[in-house]
Amino acid sequence: MSAVSSTGLTRRFGDVLAVDAVSVDIPAGGVVGLVGPNGSGKSTMIRMLLGLIRPTSGSATVLGEPVDGDGAYLRRVGALVESPAFVPGLSARANLTSLAQLRGLPLGRVDAVLDVVGLTGRDREPVKRFSLGMKQRLGIAAALLPDPELLVLDEPTNGLDPSGIVEIRTLLGALAREGRTVVVSSHLLAEIEAVCDHLVVIRFGELLYSGPVAALLERTHGHVEVKPEHAADVDALVEALALAGHEVEAVGDGVRVLGAGSRAAAVNRDAAAAGITLVELRTVRESLEQVFLDLTGRDEDEAAAARARRGGGVR
Amino acid sequence: MLDVVRSELTRSRRRGVLGAWLGLTALFAGMIVAVIFQLAGDAGAMPAAGPGVTFPTREALESASGIMAPLASASSMFGIVTLAFWAVLTATDHSTGLVRLLVAAQPRRWKLVAGKVGALVVWTAVATSVAVLVDLLVAPMLGASSDLDLSAWGTGVGTVVASAWLNLFLALLVWGSIGLVLAVATRSAAVAVSVGAGWVLVVEQVLTAAFDGLRNWLPGATIGAVAAGGNDVISYGSALTLAAGYVVVCLTVAVVVFTRRDITD
Repeated sequence: MSAVSSTGLTRRFGDVLAVDAVSVDIPAGGVVGLVGPNGSGKSTMIRMLLGLIRPTSGSATVLGEPVDGDGAYLRRVGALVESPAFVPGLSARANLTSLAQLRGLPLGRVDAVLDVVGLTGRDREPVKRFSLGMKQRLGIAAALLPDPELLVLDEPTNGLDPSGIVEIRTLLGALAREGRTVVVSSHLLAEIEAVCDHLVVIRFGELLYSGPVAALLERTHGHVEVKPEHAADVDALVEALALAGHEVEAVGDGVRVLGAGSRAAAVNRDAAAAGITLVELRTVRESLEQVFLDLTGRDEDEAAAARARRGGGVR
Repeated sequence: MLDVVRSELTRSRRRGVLGAWLGLTALFAGMIVAVIFQLAGDAGAMPAAGPGVTFPTREALESASGIMAPLASASSMFGIVTLAFWAVLTATDHSTGLVRLLVAAQPRRWKLVAGKVGALVVWTAVATSVAVLVDLLVAPMLGASSDLDLSAWGTGVGTVVASAWLNLFLALLVWGSIGLVLAVATRSAAVAVSVGAGWVLVVEQVLTAAFDGLRNWLPGATIGAVAAGGNDVISYGSALTLAAGYVVVCLTVAVVVFTRRDITD
C-alpha cells in the first residue's frame, strides 16, 4: 500500500503555480526524503497532504484515504510543519497536554513522547526559554503524540547540535523499522542520504524524481581512480586502458577512469593484462548533493524562464 | 467536543494574558465605581455620557439596583477589554503558527472554533465575576461616604447582583464574539482591537449622532442595553434578541471563514 499517492496534484496561488500536477507514489514503511530548492513547492505539497490547504486540481490519498475527505486519516498522521509552533508562555508539558486533549489521547502519551525526544526534566519550563534545538525536539514530540503511522517532518534537524542530529537520525530509523513511514523534508542532503530509503525531488513545483535513493545514485556518473605501483607506468596504463575501451585521463600519479563504478573489476583485469600492478583502485560515486544539483541546477536564465511560464514565482 | 474545550482551556491558561485580562477588568471596575460615586455628590458635575460610558442618574444610584449601576454604565469599557482578549487569544494561534498544529490535529475546524468559544466563555464568566466582586467591595465604601440615600440598596440584593452579573456577562459575550470574528478574519489582534475600539469610541457615536434611528440596533447601543437590562431606547427583550443575532452572525462568519481558509500561517 502507498503511504502517499497523488495524481496531478496542483496548487495555484493567484497567478503563481506552487505545485504543478505532481503525481507521486510513496511506498509505506521506511524513510522518505522530500527535497527541492527553496520555493520549490515542498511546503505547499506537505500542507495539501495535511489538509491545511486545498489543491486547485488533482487528487491525493494519504494512508489510503482521500485528502479532501473528512480528514479522518489525520488521526494516524503526525506532523511538524515548518518551524515548531507553540504557546511561548506555556510549559512544554502544557503545550503537549493541550494537543493530546485536542486529539482525545490519554495524557500518558505526553510523558512517553517527552521521554523519546529527551525533554523529560525540562518539561515544566516555559517554551519561550527553549533553544531552537529544544523547540525542534518539542515539535517532534508533538508529531509523535498520536503514535502515527505516517510522520511528516519538515527540517527536523534544524537547530540541533551534532549529537542531537545523530539522535534524531537514529530515532527516524527506529520509527521506520517499526513499520511507520517517515517523510522528511530537508536541505541537509547528507542527512537525507544517511537516513532515507526513498527520495522525492521537486523543483519549481514539478516532480523531478521519485524512487529509491540507491537507484538515483546508480544513475549518476561515478568514476574509478587507480594508481599503478610505479608512477612511471601512468602513461602505459592510460594507453592500455584506452585500448581496452575505457574513457581515461591521467591525474597526477594516477589515472581516472570515467563511467560507472561497476567497471572497476574490468579496469583491474585490463591493467593486469598490460602487466601493470595497481596499488590503489577505488570507486568514487557522486554524492547526493551533487546529484541533486545536477537534477535541479539549471542555469538562472532557464530558472527565470520557468518562473515566468508559471506566473512569476513559486511558494 | 469536551476534549476540544479542555484543550483550549489548557492552552489559554497563560498567566500573563489572564492576569492582564482580569487585572484590567478589576482596575476598570474600581475606577468607574470611584468616578461615578465621586461625581454623584454633585448633580451638575455628572455628565450624561463619556466615551464608552453612560453615567447613571442620582436616582438610579439610589435605587435598589444602584449598587450595581456603575457596571452597566461602563459595560462598553469592559466590553473593549473582553473583545481585546478574545481577539488576542484567537489571533495568536495564527501569529505563532500554532494553527497548523491545531488543524492537523483536529481537521473538523468548526470544532476548533467551538472549543475556543467554550473556553473563552469560561474566562469571560470569571472576568464578569471579578468586575462584580470589585463593585461589591468598592461601591458600599464610596457610597457611604457620599450624600446619596442608600437605604434601598439592601432590597433584593441577591437578585440585583445576579441579574447584574448575568446582564454584564451576556453583554461581554457579544463583545467577545465580535473580537473573535475580527481576529479570525484579520488574523491580527492589533487590527481586531483597533476596529472594535474604534467602532465603539468613534464610529458608532458619529453614526448615532448623524442618524438617530440607528441607535436602536447598532452593536454598541444594543450591548449597552443588554448590560443595563434594557433602557429608554431599546427594551431588554429587543436588546437580547438583537444581541443574540449579532452573536449568531459573528460565530457563523468566524466558522465559515476559518473552515474555508487555507492555512498558510
